Amino acid sequence: MRRKALVALACIFAAAQAIRFEHTNPPVAGDLAAPPAVERALRQACYDCHSNETRWPWSANLAPFSWLVHYDVTEGRKRLNFSSWDAYVSDPGTRIQKLRNLQKAMTEDDMPPWYYRLLHPDSKLSESQHDVIVQWLAGEITSTQSSQ
Amino acid sequence: MISVLATLAALPFGPTVRADDDAQPVIRFHDGGFEPDELVVKAKTPFRLHVVNLTKDPIEFESFERNRECVVLPGARIVVYHPALDPGSCKYFDDFHHDAGQGTITAK
Repeated sequence: MRRKALVALACIFAAAQAIRFEHTNPPVAGDLAAPPAVERALRQACYDCHSNETRWPWSANLAPFSWLVHYDVTEGRKRLNFSSWDAYVSDPGTRIQKLRNLQKAMTEDDMPPWYYRLLHPDSKLSESQHDVIVQWLAGEITSTQSSQ
Repeated sequence: MISVLATLAALPFGPTVRADDDAQPVIRFHDGGFEPDELVVKAKTPFRLHVVNLTKDPIEFESFERNRECVVLPGARIVVYHPALDPGSCKYFDDFHHDAGQGTITAK
């Protein structure tokens, strides 16, 4: 019985490999322009899901993990894509909303997701990196608000 | 007479609204969703889209395809800047109320 279950599981695992997703990195249309320290920190913690410069991990080739990676990158790019930052900036309302979303994520410490941090320990920001992003965000929000 | 004919001609096409050359089109959000369902704008021409929230709750006007995301407070009106669009359609929705349906902006 136990052997049958293992064989069934192995078959399901093998069949799951047939469902594959393409790993695309479209051209960068207009990347975020930020101070180097901010950019470095954002690249380290966010760019894999929130840009067109994804470093596809090994798990992106192994179902069912690849399904989660594909979902995270697809959804992440839809919600906030640093490679399309120029497009956000062309509308002040959108720009400020994206900045506020980032500020919320930093304040509540809910990004990157826990399972991503588990697999990518280097995505964890140091306190100084966290602070430099928070300060930059505050300045950007203030300057955007005053120019509206 | 001309206006009557124009009105009759527009009837079969339902709630589609065409933005004039110099117009700043308006999308209203009420309890039933967005109005109009489809907004037609001139392709290759930048425009300012006004979004009015007629409900008692905040909404979030969002279009993934056009990279637009703005919160509209109850009773408020915002302006969303759009660059010149290539001919085609993009969808928008209220990210705070997914059951409210979605609308389309079509550039022709």
